[in-house]
Amino acid sequence: MTSFKPTRRTLLKTGTAAAALATFGPGILRHASAQDADLAPYKSAQIDWQQVSGETITVAVIPASYFENLIALAPQFKSLTGIDVRFEKIPPAQIRQKSVIDLTSKTGTYATHAADPMYYALYAANKWVEPLDTYLNDKALTDQAWFKLDDIIPAWRSANGINGKLYGMPYDGEVTIQVYRKDLYDAKGLKPADTLEAYMSNAAALNTPNDRVWGAALRGVAGAGQNMYIYPSIFREFGGDWMKGGKLTVNGPEAEAALAWYVDIMKKYAPTAAANWNWPDIADAFSQGTVASYIDAHSSASVVNNPEKSKVIGKVAYARWPKGPSGKRTTSIWNWGFPINSALPEKKRKATWLFIQWAASAETQARTAHRFAGPTKRSGVNRTSVWKDPDYIKLMNGFGENFVEATMGALQDDTDVDWRPRVPQWPAIGDTMATAIQSALSGQATIKAALDDAQRRIEPMMRG
Amino acid sequence: MTAKRLRVIALLAISMVFLLAWAFPIIWSVLNSLKTDSDVLAYPPKLVFAPTWEAYRDVLFGSGSILPNLLSSVIISVGTTIVTMLMAVPAAYALARLRFRGKKFAGFYVLATQMLPPVGIIIPYFLVLRNIGWIDTYQGIILIYLSFSLPFAIWLLVSYFEDIPFEMEEAAYLDGASRLKTLWRIIIPQVRGGIAVTVVFVFLNAWNEFLFAVVLSGNTVRPVTVAMFNFVSVEQTLWAKLAAVSVLAMLPVVVLGVVAQKHIVKGLTVGAVKGGGRR
Repeated sequence: MTSFKPTRRTLLKTGTAAAALATFGPGILRHASAQDADLAPYKSAQIDWQQVSGETITVAVIPASYFENLIALAPQFKSLTGIDVRFEKIPPAQIRQKSVIDLTSKTGTYATHAADPMYYALYAANKWVEPLDTYLNDKALTDQAWFKLDDIIPAWRSANGINGKLYGMPYDGEVTIQVYRKDLYDAKGLKPADTLEAYMSNAAALNTPNDRVWGAALRGVAGAGQNMYIYPSIFREFGGDWMKGGKLTVNGPEAEAALAWYVDIMKKYAPTAAANWNWPDIADAFSQGTVASYIDAHSSASVVNNPEKSKVIGKVAYARWPKGPSGKRTTSIWNWGFPINSALPEKKRKATWLFIQWAASAETQARTAHRFAGPTKRSGVNRTSVWKDPDYIKLMNGFGENFVEATMGALQDDTDVDWRPRVPQWPAIGDTMATAIQSALSGQATIKAALDDAQRRIEPMMRG
Repeated sequence: MTAKRLRVIALLAISMVFLLAWAFPIIWSVLNSLKTDSDVLAYPPKLVFAPTWEAYRDVLFGSGSILPNLLSSVIISVGTTIVTMLMAVPAAYALARLRFRGKKFAGFYVLATQMLPPVGIIIPYFLVLRNIGWIDTYQGIILIYLSFSLPFAIWLLVSYFEDIPFEMEEAAYLDGASRLKTLWRIIIPQVRGGIAVTVVFVFLNAWNEFLFAVVLSGNTVRPVTVAMFNFVSVEQTLWAKLAAVSVLAMLPVVVLGVVAQKHIVKGLTVGAVKGGGRR
């Protein structure tokens, strides 16, 4: 969800046409499809890129523009390393299923895949994937001074680590932030909310269903990656702790308060249909001008700025999560990372690592983002250094006021590794919580009953 | 008279409501497939709009063309149907007519294979195909599809064969025909309707299958049901394109349905009245 399609119109509207020209340079404008194929920046690394030349690996990714850009550069990887990469595109819901089948059966079909950070606990507990430190510390395989692991956004790295060991290398990611209609806020003299309380009162002030404008919208549809992607932030902001006294607890008083806040804002100030919305639906509604604000992935900025669909271009601004009663802001953390399948023979594991090192390197990140010659640029690059690159900042600020600041602020200060319970049982726990949240929202159960029921279902799962 | 008319009107009204509920998704898909992305999102939904073939052009001839996927679907569905029918007709005949040991058990076994939830057997199937190197191949997918299409076809065909009077066969034997010849010349022409129905259902099941296809296919073999899903991406749902692919994927099914409608309706009523005039 991290694409930005700066067509001429958006760029002119947001006043960054000059920036774009500076970014692409006249040479690239003339040959729009030509990619920078110079391998020198990679060859400066003190490793032998050709050490397993002739290997073939299969990589499963989801259909998304940020992976398309990487696939477009695969010929460069081939000429750098002599390794053939076959990409297989699998929809997000199925990629988990297919990769887990592959890992459990130890068939080694996918050398690596775009992995959900919440699955590493399961992967690591079963030793299905390799700890990456072995590869990072092997001087024959990694030039640490060149790769600069520390430059990769720490929040995403810690999300992909278990007990301090990294299992998946972040390639592209996101955080959740406030997205709001600056024009509507300005007209009422409102500021983006600094607290959840203010977020509620802003929503109340702007909620005019008769004019088809609702105050706010959050993900309503049930799913571990849907409503259970937003609720955990609220839960943490209310001071909730998933592992209270070492025991997974989902029905404490903080949970009740958090769920009450969520149900309240959704019932009072969100469109009724939002109970069944996932984030693309929210972004679609916002781009049609019917929602005054939402809290969701920063990468949704590309949808609300899509000149083919959006009616709100130039009216969008961004802010970090409002603070909860605990005084904390907690954003959600998401990234697609690449693990190494343990079932592979040694040579293929090395080939896979070289691929991962190449894909996650600052050079490839830049080449798939602001230096990409095609129309879509990534907004989820994994490197702090790229986020500080003036060319990249100019391009990203085309999305609207405060975009880069809100995103970087959230990434640096609002992330929280324990935002969701990181246990091997997560997939089932996530689903159970998602159902509980939805039944509270739909009024099938009271808030307390829904959470107590979830707790009852989760306890036996944790006993294993 | 008035009471009767009222009843007719009431029934019609109720039918219309049901019809609308069932037809709505299809109408909605067709309309959306002709809209631009911004028209899809327009509120109130536009009933009058400038139709465009853009979505169809994109999905057929754009960079992510689904033509190869349609071809995949055709090969899988036709292949499954042919192999299924070649095996199901003799098997159904045997179960209907022959007396042999274990017949009851065989009949039950055929039905029992349908009782397992498909999700539970995906992983074993995956392992089997993986071990014989048939993942992401046509023969692999067709082999797995046979596991549900064959029992279904046999089970459906048996009832047709059972309905044929035994005397007919006897007459053929008396004239000196062998069993195979009788089956080919006498019996099969009598169950044409039943075979047509079975062909249609087997084809439809294979055409619409998603669960096995998504796990067992890869880059080489990728039916349209799986490819279609890529229009619901993590970035956004491409409604117009998704609708266009749905309509394209529906077309062969609709055509087949219209062509075979006569047989389907007849086929479904078979057995309602034993020995009823079905042919």
